[in-house]
Amino acid sequence: MGPKSGVQIDETALIKAAQQGDHAAFEQLVRAYDQSVLRLAMNLLRSTEDAHDVYQEAFLRVFRNLHSFRFDCSFHTWLYRIVTNLCLDHMRKRKVRKEEPTVLTTADGPLDRMDAVPEERVDGDPARHLFSGQIRKRIKHVLSELTPRERMVFELRHYQGLRLRRIGEILGTTEEAAKNCLFRATQKMRAALGDFV
Amino acid sequence: MSSMTCETAREQFSLLLYGELSFDDEERLESHLEACAECSAGFAREKSLHTALDGIEITPSPSLLRVCREELRARLAEEEAPRKAHLAGWWEQFTDLLTGHKAGFGSRAGFVWKPAAALSLIAIGFFAARLTPVFSSVGAGPQNSMSMTGDPGSSRVRYVEPGSDGKVQIVLDETRQRVVSGRPDDQKIRVLLLAAAQDPADPGLRAETVNILNTSAQSADVRDALIQALRHDQNAGVRLKALEGLKAYSQERDVRGALADVLLHDSNPGVRTQAIDLLTGSGSKQTVERNLVGMLQELMSRENNAYIRERCRRVLEAMNASVETY
Repeated sequence: MGPKSGVQIDETALIKAAQQGDHAAFEQLVRAYDQSVLRLAMNLLRSTEDAHDVYQEAFLRVFRNLHSFRFDCSFHTWLYRIVTNLCLDHMRKRKVRKEEPTVLTTADGPLDRMDAVPEERVDGDPARHLFSGQIRKRIKHVLSELTPRERMVFELRHYQGLRLRRIGEILGTTEEAAKNCLFRATQKMRAALGDFV
Repeated sequence: MSSMTCETAREQFSLLLYGELSFDDEERLESHLEACAECSAGFAREKSLHTALDGIEITPSPSLLRVCREELRARLAEEEAPRKAHLAGWWEQFTDLLTGHKAGFGSRAGFVWKPAAALSLIAIGFFAARLTPVFSSVGAGPQNSMSMTGDPGSSRVRYVEPGSDGKVQIVLDETRQRVVSGRPDDQKIRVLLLAAAQDPADPGLRAETVNILNTSAQSADVRDALIQALRHDQNAGVRLKALEGLKAYSQERDVRGALADVLLHDSNPGVRTQAIDLLTGSGSKQTVERNLVGMLQELMSRENNAYIRERCRRVLEAMNASVETY
């Protein structure tokens, strides 16, 4: 899976130029992937603050270590290894901290982290709206109950659309292990959401 | 093709929806679904579940992406600064050595000594060390006293010369390192700190120095140095440190001038955010002098950071001022 831009770019040439210190090439690489990186972090961590931190740290690590990238795998896989490791660290820390308050104190008064998250689409029917609101709440709860690895595999497969084989490569495991992880995740969700759908 | 149990079929529902089954497995499952009404209904529920899961996906806002990109650019510039300074330092030494420029060699002498000088680069690798003073235990010593201890210095091979008796003569530039300790308000320490706060080669040293100077910001010369760092330091981290030290003096005229300047011109959104917070106070209803209005209006027309724009808008509204210029 490469950049989402419709323009075909010679990624290898860009990486080599960036390895030689070409800033414009590095910026092009960042821009080719940063939206999907931010989306992944945002969906996994459900916090603009944490997603922002992961974004910064991931691309700084890429910048510092790009010289050691040897084209043994695709740049996408290499980048996603960095991003998923950072996200897994965040999720594991959060599991240890248990619940994190979603309301932050700012100079402008209290601010709910999730206010920055756009509202999902709703339709005009109030009963239906209420029902879909309940489902969303339940889904978010179930997702938060998954283990970090299950959550990660599910996110990469369901929302990022990556094949299980690629997910295995990113997470340093086999396609079969990724499949088992996805299976456990969907089973848990089916059990928790069966009444709603 | 072998038949399939209902249990196996149910286990494969999600894999079918994700397109992760092999051709044969997919065929078997679809055959089973055609023949089994119960599994067919179960598969329909699985599809509904998948659709419901799509509803909670978050797409980050363009403004968040923009903030992330701006900050990354600033942080990459910070990463680059010491590297460039380091490389420049070495390049300077290298070229000095080859040309003999600083040693006062003529061009011919520089040419003659090139091979020897090149060899001496190896020695430089061993001898090179920071030539700036090393501060340690600041404030840990007796009050208002300074202590100095000698330390092996750093050396640099200036040139080498073959001697007549088969020996070689090496001319070294030596700089001895000293550890100087004392309280930050000691005048001699202060002079060194003010110099270190402007060391062009080492943003880490500047940041640490500014951090120490922040404790003495009541002194006019320190405040001037902090203002200087805030206005002109290349490194956003150093500028943010200087802002911290100036917080308590944000009502001073020269500090406000510097804050207004960085608010309009600083490339780092974090620095601009801090600057507007200090200029406009912690509450949006706080009275702000009228001459800020024009600047805030100008900022509204050019600022692309959402937080700063919102802050401007609130302050202008609290002052019953227009958010636009006419």
